Amino acid sequence: MRSIKDHMALTISLFAILFCIESLLVLDRIVKSYENDLKENYSLILVADRSVKVSDISHIDTLIGSVEPIDAESILKEIEGRMSEESLSKIRQIMPLFFSLKLRRYADRERIEKLKSELLSVAGVKEVHIFEKVHDRLYSMLLFIKSTLTLFGLLAGVVSILLLMKQMTIWQFEHKERMQIMSLFGAPVWLRSGVLFRLAVVDAFLAFAAVVSTMLYLSSNSEAIEFLQSIGADPDLLFRYDDIAVLAAVSFGVSLTCAAWVVARFKEEQ
Amino acid sequence: MQKVIEAAGLKLAYPRHEPVIKSASFEVETGEFVFITGASGSGKSTLLKSMYGSMPIYGGELQVGGIDMGSISGSKLYKLRRHIGIIFQDYKLIREWNVEKNVMLPLIISGFPKDVCRAQAQKLLTHVKLSHKSDKYPMELSGGEQQRVAMARALAHNPFLILADEPTGNLDDYSSQVVWDLLERANEELDTTILVVTHHIPEMLSANYRHLMIENGVLYEIH
Repeated sequence: MRSIKDHMALTISLFAILFCIESLLVLDRIVKSYENDLKENYSLILVADRSVKVSDISHIDTLIGSVEPIDAESILKEIEGRMSEESLSKIRQIMPLFFSLKLRRYADRERIEKLKSELLSVAGVKEVHIFEKVHDRLYSMLLFIKSTLTLFGLLAGVVSILLLMKQMTIWQFEHKERMQIMSLFGAPVWLRSGVLFRLAVVDAFLAFAAVVSTMLYLSSNSEAIEFLQSIGADPDLLFRYDDIAVLAAVSFGVSLTCAAWVVARFKEEQ
Repeated sequence: MQKVIEAAGLKLAYPRHEPVIKSASFEVETGEFVFITGASGSGKSTLLKSMYGSMPIYGGELQVGGIDMGSISGSKLYKLRRHIGIIFQDYKLIREWNVEKNVMLPLIISGFPKDVCRAQAQKLLTHVKLSHKSDKYPMELSGGEQQRVAMARALAHNPFLILADEPTGNLDDYSSQVVWDLLERANEELDTTILVVTHHIPEMLSANYRHLMIENGVLYEIH
């Protein structure tokens, strides 16, 4: 019973830290994926009286991804039957050039408006039209959830670190006597702190395994999958195998640092 | 005879305090049985601590096993301690380890295989008449039994020197007898050097011994 209690204190704190990190990783992936979709759905049409190449305008903003000319003939073909040949020929003479500008990444409305006004100052560009699908509300909500979770994550992190520090003080007290006695009989540091490091490794593994199991469960949970699908996100975003390395590094890193801190503070009594 | 302990003009002091030991000059040779007596607070335990490196040298010189305790480094000190057996008045047993494992401690530290450690621990527990309690934990034993376990631990690795701080101070007659018998046997049969700090020398002792006394911070040879 005591053994379980010994493990719980550190394992729960570590679990809280790891779960926060994993939640932030998942949310970050969802937001990025959503931004990617939005970026694809955004389209800026440039109307110009001369050819515009990406090299002419890329210096304006790093957002600019590519510039593709739009074939005007396809538009004219649609109205071919409704106009005389003479009118069409006149339209052809005065018709400007159209270009589709694709963005590198998604940007908010304000940045797009700024880009528009800068594009309008480029020689030859007459008009800039923005076509977008209405996604801004959901995106804003995702950003809000992300910043809220980051804040809660930070708070949970701080509380967990305080718990860890408290646990370290308990460890220091609990292991001091044994380390003291072993030291008096000539035990080297690695031997007298072996129990502590073993405890740290076991606790780190327990917390790591608990978080990975939770995430694996969620990634196969139908409700979680449906929720992600409902906001247009890929359910695979819920758990990536790359996360295992991050979670293991944090879990073992924090736990072993705590044990090393206790060992470093050990001082033989006179 | 080889010198095990050599002290010359030794001074010992706790930080920001007057020296507890103002002058101690003595030599202990292999196989000697030495008692250091003195009143409470005279510095007996402090002198003993300096011999296993738990008390820094304030002045003078102290050599244990040919090693200068004034300039000893961490790793050398741990190496030296692996060849010394220490008995404390408060036993200093590891509470979360059972009796057998406590006795095995010096052997584990010296890197002996587990079966060797176990066999030696069982042999010593038989000597201290506690083989039937090898699975018990220190808290389940009486004070006398705990000190007998500490005694077995001090002898487990055949040390060249045993330092004992009031080993029978809190014990009943039976446990005291077991402790003195074992110390005498180690001294006679294994030629182990024994240095005991105590209030008074036991009458039951049959071994030849030297008697040193501390008075007003100075160490004197009585006989």
